[in-house]
Amino acid sequence: MIDGRTGLGFGWAARFAGAGALVLFLCWEHVQATRLGYRVESVRREAAERRGRVAALRLDMERRLSPSEVSARAARLGMIPADPDALRRLSRAPARAAGPLERLFSLRPARVAASRS
Amino acid sequence: MDLGLRLTAAATAVLLPVLPLGLRLADLQVLRHGALKSRAAGEFDRVAEEAAPRADILDREGRVLARSVPNWSCFVDKAMVKDPAAFGAQLAPLLGVRASEIARKAAEPGRFAWLKTGLSSEAADEIRAARVDGAGLAPAQQRVYPNGDLARGVLGLVGAESRGLAGLEFALEKRLRGTPRRLEVMRDGAGRTIYKSVSDGGLTPEPVRLTLDRSVQYLAEEALREGGERRAFKSGIIAVQDPRDGEILAMASWPPTPLNDPLVQDAFEPGSTFKVVTALSALDERLVRPDETFFGERGRWEVAPRVVITDHEGQGNMTLAQILEKSSNIGIAKVVDRVGAARFLRMCRTLGFGAKTGVPLPGETAGEVKTVPELTKVSLAAASYGYGVQASPLQVLGAYSAIANGGTLWEPKLVLDGQAPVRVRRIASEAAVLELREILEGVAERGTATNAKIPGYRVAGKTGTARRIDPLTRKYSTSAYNASFVGFLPASAPRWTILVVLNEPKGAYYGGLTAAPIFAALGRRLLALEAIPPDAPADPALATARR
Repeated sequence: MIDGRTGLGFGWAARFAGAGALVLFLCWEHVQATRLGYRVESVRREAAERRGRVAALRLDMERRLSPSEVSARAARLGMIPADPDALRRLSRAPARAAGPLERLFSLRPARVAASRS
Repeated sequence: MDLGLRLTAAATAVLLPVLPLGLRLADLQVLRHGALKSRAAGEFDRVAEEAAPRADILDREGRVLARSVPNWSCFVDKAMVKDPAAFGAQLAPLLGVRASEIARKAAEPGRFAWLKTGLSSEAADEIRAARVDGAGLAPAQQRVYPNGDLARGVLGLVGAESRGLAGLEFALEKRLRGTPRRLEVMRDGAGRTIYKSVSDGGLTPEPVRLTLDRSVQYLAEEALREGGERRAFKSGIIAVQDPRDGEILAMASWPPTPLNDPLVQDAFEPGSTFKVVTALSALDERLVRPDETFFGERGRWEVAPRVVITDHEGQGNMTLAQILEKSSNIGIAKVVDRVGAARFLRMCRTLGFGAKTGVPLPGETAGEVKTVPELTKVSLAAASYGYGVQASPLQVLGAYSAIANGGTLWEPKLVLDGQAPVRVRRIASEAAVLELREILEGVAERGTATNAKIPGYRVAGKTGTARRIDPLTRKYSTSAYNASFVGFLPASAPRWTILVVLNEPKGAYYGGLTAAPIFAALGRRLLALEAIPPDAPADPALATARR
């Protein structure tokens, strides 16, 4: 009789403990989700900021490589535009069976070299 | 008391005080769940928008012509500013704006005002670190053109809300503009954001690649700028097209403006560059033999009673080739008389005049070509040398490209979208086109366009000089001209068709004296850029140039 009542009592206690554990788990999950939410938001902002910085740096590079900039720098160095006849585009090597390295290098654009001083 | 009873009593003693809490919880969580949830959502949940940057515009090699970069705008919440003067003094060194100016804005009526836009991330960091009460930062996008004014007439401009207002920025608005990413976020008690989920992934637009070549564009603008800066003409345009597929490589205008593109929006009377229409019609229909001559009337011909056509030089008998070489109005008027209005008009249409080219730029003009009934003997004669017709510079360029490539009129292509070039039509028989090409080479070799010659290279083209309409009198001006030259090189295998039009050149106004040298200057740079070997190595001028 006592054993039976005791068993009922332990059963209830176990159920309460289970429910408590579930509540604790749900609380922990919520806290973790919130913590990760803060972290994701922080990382998202950081990523956006870094994307912005990368864009600004790329833009700066484009500015420095713009034809007017390059032309001005070349002029400062005493360079002048080449005559059309002063340059020759070297022809590519004749086509033949080639290994992977040669094929790789053959993908490079044809080189331009001065044909006269 | 048995153990079971005691346990029940203990449990009751513990749980009984919790019961009201449970009931309250049930009330909040079950009975008023919906109302409270929506109230909480209203207070804490937010939808944050992450702006999709406007797509880059690239040249044909992938070099950036326009790009949007994130930046920051600084604003003031005036309700939080207690002392505008101190506020201004704090922010002035950070913003690079006078303290009095900031203080004035902070003291004006209203709660909100922008203090400065276009701030870099570094500047924004400094402002954040300064923790100035009332100063806030808002993210923004700035459209930047890293090459300055390069191709601005084609690119156009965007407004304050990153919307295209002119040029390709306007025409390609749908392709360039993305849709923002929407994020569901929460705000905590301190106002900090907590990420929840992505509600809409948005659309980040792909870069748009143009057919323009940044280097060619630069060289074209430079060639025009030199004359523009020494005020050799009032305004001018240059366009470069690849005649092999119709791709536009450069479109430049002086003075540069992003608001309009005269190459497609303005129509002009093409003058003598239009003589090729009559010549090609005559050659295609075999109405003129190569050795047949037309009398030049010594430079003055009464085409109809009291209507006189003049030439700048009196000429005797001329073949068709000589008519073009000397740019004789009388000669070409006699040829068109034989061609007739219907054939002439058909060739105009075939070469693309009187119809839009289809280039994706806003406000393209179709130009104007008279109909057959409107083409009287006098107006037909005038049209044969480019008066009484209106053409856009792009139409003239396209027609000469068709002559350069052996007879195929291409739709001018400005956007590289993976689609094959659009072939509009064949303009004439191959024999007729090749014969006309030879004639145009003669124009540069010994005609009015000797200034377009480049030592060692074969050049073909045609000069044009046309009186401008005086807007006050609505009659042809006696002092204002359009000078033009359109040609292609190297003539043996044309790579570039170049059009130069100068409005109101000062001093010498003939196309051969003003526009042709600009063509030659640009041609030389293009040949060097691509390292094209001479196609006329026996040219004596080449040996002289090499010395």
